[in-house]
Amino acid sequence: MRVGDICAGRSGDKGDMLDLTLVARDAAGYRAIERVLTEDFVRRALNRVIPGEVRRYAVPGLLALKFVAPTALPGGIYASLHAGLHWQKAAIWLLLDLVIEPEA
Amino acid sequence: MKPICRIGAGAGFAGDRVDPAVALAASGQVDSIALECLAERTLVSALNARSAHPDGGADPRLRRRLTPLIPVAADHGCRIISNLGAANPAAAARATAALASELGRPGLRVAALLGDDVAHLVQQTAWDQPIEGRLLGAHAYLGSDGMAEALAAGADIVLAGRVADSALFAAPVLAASMRAASPAPGGTAWDADLPLLAGALTVGHLLECTGQLTGGNFDPPGGGGLDAASLAGLGYPLAHVMPDGSAELSLLEDAPGLLDSMTCTLQLLYEVNDPARYITPDAVLDFTGIRFEQIGRNRVRMTGARIVGRPATLKVIAFVERRGVIADVEIGFAGHGAMIRAQCAADVLRLRLQGWAEADLAIDLVGVNSILGAASAPANAAPAELRVHVSARCDDAAMAQEIEDEVYALTLSGPAGGAGVRSERRPRIETVSGLVPRELVPWSLVWETSQ
Repeated sequence: MRVGDICAGRSGDKGDMLDLTLVARDAAGYRAIERVLTEDFVRRALNRVIPGEVRRYAVPGLLALKFVAPTALPGGIYASLHAGLHWQKAAIWLLLDLVIEPEA
Repeated sequence: MKPICRIGAGAGFAGDRVDPAVALAASGQVDSIALECLAERTLVSALNARSAHPDGGADPRLRRRLTPLIPVAADHGCRIISNLGAANPAAAARATAALASELGRPGLRVAALLGDDVAHLVQQTAWDQPIEGRLLGAHAYLGSDGMAEALAAGADIVLAGRVADSALFAAPVLAASMRAASPAPGGTAWDADLPLLAGALTVGHLLECTGQLTGGNFDPPGGGGLDAASLAGLGYPLAHVMPDGSAELSLLEDAPGLLDSMTCTLQLLYEVNDPARYITPDAVLDFTGIRFEQIGRNRVRMTGARIVGRPATLKVIAFVERRGVIADVEIGFAGHGAMIRAQCAADVLRLRLQGWAEADLAIDLVGVNSILGAASAPANAAPAELRVHVSARCDDAAMAQEIEDEVYALTLSGPAGGAGVRSERRPRIETVSGLVPRELVPWSLVWETSQ
């Protein structure tokens, strides 16, 4: 299933940093993303598009995972070669569209 | 429990809608309304305007935003707090007092918060990368102290430049607390009751992006997002902040929107980096113990905000202009075979622009892979139309012209039917962040009164 079938998400930025948040619909959904979306797994998925490291923060009490990529947007979003500005608002679909195995 | 302060969210960025703020002020359900109008990059155009004229540099939408708001807010005793001052809060206060006079509202006290401009502290700032290029300006994110003191001293309108977004909303809460405790003047937010400060700053962070808390930019899993009519009339949130630092977040009764624990959680964690250490100028917050409880339709109770420290430094953002421009150019293809012709045009450009450094050139297809790049889903349908996009970092205008001309040349010498060409040039402005010792950044207030 898609991560987006069990989570809502939102992307933001601060300077060079890309900031991605996933919130699961329920506890089972949280367990699934907490298990599958490791720092390493997400870094490999994001590195198809953005450079650098990815840090994960788990907030189990809110059924949420955050992924922060400190050097993803070199020079900030004004420096981007994307068409127009603010491509990063769509970057959460890099995670929402990942397909993961449902919980066994 | 009776709220210590009732605050509404009136704007979440410079171009945000005007009418939801007016609706909140007119409802009589808020004592204060805060308008966040100065995103990280919004300051760049204000700095340019201030360079062009000493009275320039306030938010250019100030009149449009405040003309409908000032009379309604004045009628309901609702204070206005905003960073509409942008690069020139003193000029913004003068313009606002003049506007209130024009609107027939004499006696309104307008305070401007100064001190955020730290261009003179470039040497004392610890930058996270070297400053290369022309420095346009450097501003520190101030906390809520100065704005709270202005409100406690009777300001009807407070205009700041660079302040933490959360501080705009926390200021009226702290002012209410100051009035209740009547402390000695010159106190800081840190002198407030810490659970209350934690709650006020958290509420500020939740409200600062307006519609993102009430169903905007929100796609719930399994569907159920707002329809076009609801989004077109989307209401902005308000909060009742309680003396114990808890809060009730809600929408006006008749306002379309969706406010639940998921919209609250997404906004709580938005752009905070480490959620256990969210750093604001006033305090470092731990959000991991926060809980949201639905207590009614579009009404959520927030508890558990916690302060874990106070930063010794303030964050500074500098803007640096590099030489040259980014050229951003597109050409469209439509009709049968649009995809094949667009892909061919992209390949022609790759051949023609072979000499360009790969890192300084992007060529992709709008409608296929211009946003998510290599992670885009495969294009498996035959789209009715597509656009070829080219962006390039250029050292000067002549290089930008070369890129634009190559795309235009496709209309005569490329695949059939190249149409709908557009182009723009963006300055090469980059952000650099740093930290400056708090004690080097004193703030002050200047006052204006409408006639």
